[in-house]
Amino acid sequence: MPDIKIENLKKVFGDLVAIDNLSLEVKDGEYLTILGPTGAGKTTLLRLIAGLTKQTSGSISINGERVDKLPPEERKVTFLSQSYSLFPHMNVWDNTIFGPIARGWEPEKVNIIGREMLEMVHLYDRKDAMPNELSGGMQQRNALARALCADAKILLLDEPLRALDARLRLDLRYELKKLVKDMGMTAIHVTHDQEEALTISDRIIMLKDGKVIQSDKPHDMFNKPASPFIHHFIGEANFVKGKITKKSNNDCQITDSIGRIYTAAKTSQEVGANAVAGIKTEFTVIEKEQKDQMNTFRGTVDRKLFLGRFTDFEIILTDGGIVHARLPSSIAHKFVEGSQVYVHYSPERLLVFPEPEKGLKAELEMM
Amino acid sequence: MTLVKKISDIISKKSTIKAWYGLVIFFFICVIIVPTLFVLSYAVTGWNDIEGTIFTDPADPAQLNASFGMAGTNVSFHSWDIIDITQTTVLEANVLYTDLSGPYLLTFQVYEMNDDGTEKIYYEQSQGFTNGSDPGSFIIFSNDTYNSITHVGPVTQNITLATATGEYLDSWEADLYLRAGDRRPMDLIWDAMKISFVIATIVTIVDFIAGLPMAWLMVRKEFRGKKYLDILIDMPLAIPTAALGFSTALFWAVTPAIPGSGLGWTSSPFLLIILLHIVFSYPYMVRSLTAILHEIDINYETAAQTLGAPPLTVARTITLPLFRAGLVTGIILCFARSLSETGGTMAALAMLTPWLSELAVPMQTGPTLIGAWKHAGGFEPQLAFTAMLLVMVSLVLLVIVKIVIMKFKLPLRKVMPGPERLLSKGLFPKMKDLLAFVFMFVILIIPSFFIVSFLFTGTPTPVDWGSFWSAMGFSFLVAGVITVINILFGVPLAIYIVRGTNKTMSNILDVLVNVPLIVPTSALGVSLGMFWGSMNINVAIFLVISAHLAFTFPLIVRNVAGALEELDPTYEETARTLGARPMFVFKKVMYPSIKFSILAGAIMAFTRSLGETGATLSVVQNANTVPVYIVGLVKSASYYPAALACVVLIVITFITMMIMRYITKKAER
Repeated sequence: MPDIKIENLKKVFGDLVAIDNLSLEVKDGEYLTILGPTGAGKTTLLRLIAGLTKQTSGSISINGERVDKLPPEERKVTFLSQSYSLFPHMNVWDNTIFGPIARGWEPEKVNIIGREMLEMVHLYDRKDAMPNELSGGMQQRNALARALCADAKILLLDEPLRALDARLRLDLRYELKKLVKDMGMTAIHVTHDQEEALTISDRIIMLKDGKVIQSDKPHDMFNKPASPFIHHFIGEANFVKGKITKKSNNDCQITDSIGRIYTAAKTSQEVGANAVAGIKTEFTVIEKEQKDQMNTFRGTVDRKLFLGRFTDFEIILTDGGIVHARLPSSIAHKFVEGSQVYVHYSPERLLVFPEPEKGLKAELEMM
Repeated sequence: MTLVKKISDIISKKSTIKAWYGLVIFFFICVIIVPTLFVLSYAVTGWNDIEGTIFTDPADPAQLNASFGMAGTNVSFHSWDIIDITQTTVLEANVLYTDLSGPYLLTFQVYEMNDDGTEKIYYEQSQGFTNGSDPGSFIIFSNDTYNSITHVGPVTQNITLATATGEYLDSWEADLYLRAGDRRPMDLIWDAMKISFVIATIVTIVDFIAGLPMAWLMVRKEFRGKKYLDILIDMPLAIPTAALGFSTALFWAVTPAIPGSGLGWTSSPFLLIILLHIVFSYPYMVRSLTAILHEIDINYETAAQTLGAPPLTVARTITLPLFRAGLVTGIILCFARSLSETGGTMAALAMLTPWLSELAVPMQTGPTLIGAWKHAGGFEPQLAFTAMLLVMVSLVLLVIVKIVIMKFKLPLRKVMPGPERLLSKGLFPKMKDLLAFVFMFVILIIPSFFIVSFLFTGTPTPVDWGSFWSAMGFSFLVAGVITVINILFGVPLAIYIVRGTNKTMSNILDVLVNVPLIVPTSALGVSLGMFWGSMNINVAIFLVISAHLAFTFPLIVRNVAGALEELDPTYEETARTLGARPMFVFKKVMYPSIKFSILAGAIMAFTRSLGETGATLSVVQNANTVPVYIVGLVKSASYYPAALACVVLIVITFITMMIMRYITKKAER
């Protein structure tokens, strides 16, 4: 039974359509991530579900009941901002029992549930601490305990890890997911960090211009992007443009404007159609010598950018065009700036899409 | 419990909240804004009445009869009863009835009663009449006459009617009209407006020149005792202006009624009022400039200095252009305060020319003219016109200053490396700092507190404690009531302005809130009096409360709105999603974060109300708040009780200000 069901949701701010006829289902206990560029409508969607903004049209149901007319306090959905919004003037205990107190529960019941939840997140011994005395992880746990106490089974997280240090962010995203799962909550997590989305989610929905453009498991989102945009957004990609000149059940052949022939993954498009094909920079192979005739192009290393574990390469192809490649730094030293290299695309990684309506450049723009 | 829950259910209902906001906005528009600007309607309706004939119209003898309390043989009246407009005053008499027929002699005298009961006559003039004849008139008073007698002490002026042979008549009745020679109301209004304007301009310029180095010192330099200097700057704000006017005049001016009390340095009303206005407006300038200076990243200055610019050039070309916004605030505040001030100005003017009617003082500003006319009564059209001018001038000014300062390009680009480097080194910066200190102590602090010394050096005279405490009680009642109403309506309005969903409405309200701050309080009082008067509401206490509400309301709204803007709305939103109703969210999440601002706003409103003179004087003819009481005492040259009342009021406001400082400091932490 789906826990949250959104149908034809629309939100308009003046001339701007923030959410455009969006439909979405979230299953009970699912950890869903909403991924998308700035301005895609991610936060607006969360605010609509929480009841902090009113939709222009459409419906939101939770457990089969329409909630889109209810004020936020009656939806049993908790919204958490970047900083978790722990009330700065209340200690851990008062923060935790805020929901029950607000709902006017019996004091004994409040005490029992408050203690239970704080023990669950291992914060009971810190119940007198103020939020600013807690570590980032503790704050997160406190916010979750507070949400659970408020009887909210649905957690809306608006870039919850953004305000943290890079290192802490990595640690806390596992902890976050584990806690949410342990407590049997349903979470909708908004982020624009694709790596975060890939590691933490059961499912990712990709939002662009207020529309869901793909909804898939992280692995599929990465490997089977629905559009060049997603392909590029989740791990950078190199693109080629051309016509499909041949196709089989396993692969196809694309010829670009100067006659270069690419062998790419299989496609449903017909021969003769305009297409673009893209390969993630991680899968773009650089070789010193040409090992294979197919999908191999000569070029010169123009620039190297050391990133730590990885090194990014910018290669200018002899026949024209720029290719980016990301190599583990352990092997990057083999290729020096100015040296001649061969770029190789493995066909199953070179994914084929119909040519975008507005052109490739417009498609890849991230607002 | 269930009842409480029920009530809180009702309060939390969306419709109830909407209705409450509606009521608050209605209150703000209909009780604050419309009445404040009501006088502008006069521009449409009342032009013709200004050149009314209050002074000359024999059809309205009640005017003088009332103030003379006359019809008797020996009509004595005090000089402050005379409607004298400083120039030449004409007395017209129409003898209606006597018990004798024949020619009479109407005599006007200015005399002093000596201790032994004899009279010392300073001035006397007579004119003969025939019974029933046309009213004769003669000059009874001129500036020169007055100046020749002012320094001798209280005088009595006397009108007698006698036969040609010098026998006083036992019973006679006459209508007397006093008329300012060639001073027509329009001239008075025009002069007063001009003087107000010139004074406000000079004061603002001086404030800026003297305030800038002080602001710089407070923000960019560290030195011992900075904390105390910080308190000292605010000090004049803790003193009600009526007391400041009294104290400042006592310090600087030639005071005929009490010679040798201070420096006795000037007898020019113009200079004295400028000195006074600087005292209470300077803190506003320094505060506005420091506020913006704090915001300006010091890195710009450091960068410019490392690029080789001497400090003066840096200040002039880098920092000054960046703080236009603070300059606008400072200029508007200083100008508006100077344009608006009534009580202190009245008190200071009265010190220069004691025993003279408030209508007779040789110089009037817009607000003091309003105060004097309102107190005299019967000047409604002139009052309305003056108030309207003041309101319009201040509103136009607000707009012009904003536009001009923001658009106007200061001639700052040119750099003079030589002289500026010289001026940035050695003695000059030290001199600048020293001058800033000296200015503050000599112009602000010493004159402000001179009054305290007067309590010890002055000659104690009996104090009428009854009327003192009744004025005190009235002041506190008004201040208390307006503080409570302000909180009830101001806090929701602030919430609506900052958190409201209707942005257009919020923005309009945001602008309107500032209006009562800019409008001179005496004009505001006239306007409110007219507004409620047009509905036949004339209850004095109601009028005083409504006037005090109007000019203190913005203080609380501004304070709370400022705090709310700082408060991240996600706290409230999170609380809502955790199941809290709006009322609960306010109580548990919003209120704890803004309570200090509410309190600070409340204290500001309370002290402003305690110290206000202009609005009180102009909204009703006779209301006895402490500042009005003080001004009255100063006018009648009862300096000792006035000083005592001032010091009591200063102590009270000082304590509340200190509490406020403590609270705001605590809130910052």
